[in-house]
Amino acid sequence: MPEELQKDPLTRGQFLAFGALGTFVGAVMTIPPIVYFLDPAIKDVFQGRSDVPDRWVELGSVFDVPDKKVVTQLVEFTQLQTYDSGQPGVDETGNNKGTIPNAVLLSWKDGKMPELLKSKDKKAKLSKGDIAELTKELNVMSNACAHMGCPTRWTDIEKEIVCPCHGGIYDINGKHTAGPPPHGLWRYDFQIRDDGSMYVRHEFHLKNRDGGKPYVV
Amino acid sequence: MIARIKTRTRETGRFLLDWMEDRTGIVSMTEKFLYEPVPKRGKWLYTLGSATLFLITLQFLTGILLLFYYVPTADNAWDSIYYIMNDAYFGQLIRGIHFWSANALLMVIGLHMVRTFLSASYKAPREMNWVVGVLLILIVTILAFSGYALRWDQEGFYAWEVGVKIASYTPIIGGLAISSLLGGDTAGPATLSRVFALHVWLLPAALAPLIGIHLFLLRKHGEFGAPYEYSERLAALRKRQQMEGLLTEEEEDESTQE
Repeated sequence: MPEELQKDPLTRGQFLAFGALGTFVGAVMTIPPIVYFLDPAIKDVFQGRSDVPDRWVELGSVFDVPDKKVVTQLVEFTQLQTYDSGQPGVDETGNNKGTIPNAVLLSWKDGKMPELLKSKDKKAKLSKGDIAELTKELNVMSNACAHMGCPTRWTDIEKEIVCPCHGGIYDINGKHTAGPPPHGLWRYDFQIRDDGSMYVRHEFHLKNRDGGKPYVV
Repeated sequence: MIARIKTRTRETGRFLLDWMEDRTGIVSMTEKFLYEPVPKRGKWLYTLGSATLFLITLQFLTGILLLFYYVPTADNAWDSIYYIMNDAYFGQLIRGIHFWSANALLMVIGLHMVRTFLSASYKAPREMNWVVGVLLILIVTILAFSGYALRWDQEGFYAWEVGVKIASYTPIIGGLAISSLLGGDTAGPATLSRVFALHVWLLPAALAPLIGIHLFLLRKHGEFGAPYEYSERLAALRKRQQMEGLLTEEEEDESTQE
């Protein structure tokens, strides 16, 4: 008889109740710590929240971008992350004490400064047409290598942007020319205003497998 | 007089050792540990496991000492390292031991693994110990890598970035891995807190019980190629050879009778 063979006098109901209780206790013990650990991932990946507020930050004047070379400009973006506690001085007004420095590489397309800039007075206002032309000609790139995120830099001798980590090489337009990077440098979303000032935000144009954002910048 | 003091001291020492042995068994345990028989072939290579344990202990001890000065915040981490290296008494020594023994640890673990592989010590019944050993080497590697980032200097910072980028290539969970390792979508103070939590708490907490299991399994099955194992095998081999030899003689006899 099967019931005689059953050594443990546990009824089906008791067995199910025991299983349900075990599942509940297991869930209570594991889910909170896992979700706690994954908090930034949930906010970033599923809710689309970023540590860096979507705000334009001034970069400098378009007149300072030189001919035939790349310049590096440092820009400080407000970074919320663990600083967004709502404490005085750490709000989202731009006076946040938490910032993340980004190095922005600036160059003209193929290294050629547009003619209109050469003849233009620095104090003169730019027309909409001027801005549209300059926007087409300007490269505003992240210095983070598209391979593993190391900081790249321009070399005047080789006329290339090089990565010190694994030898990634890009041309003056940030186009990948050699080494392991899978594509060219990330490009910032930028604006040129009528006084010639450039503004960038912590967003990137290049769309690929990671949704257009660099993993680490 | 001196002879009496010597005798009394010896007796007291013996009494204390006996007392400890009765209550903890520590003397026999230490004897067993210190005079562990190892196979004649390989000799010193069988001490690599003990060397690994020694180096890990050194990591724990010097790591605890470093914690007295290290400040795990993005603003102060590098400064606190600078203080340890330049102002704290013996700071250079303590951090130097932590740094170099970590390097040596990876090397010794690698050699230990090679020895285990080449001497076929991973074979039955020791497969589980091999698996535990592989987990240990993974944890130690992540420990070494996260320790690198804790300096929060250019080198350590970008090493961690590269590590995160490598982790991002994990299929399906790549995106989650980045945010989990960075503590957000950019590197910042939360990143350092996470690295610190991993390096100082989570990974050592995982390492310690696994070391215990590794040692328990070693005690349970003994060192591969230990004398008894060899002698048993040799005896079996001799017996087989003997039987084969007898059989051949019998066959020879039969053939001559025919």
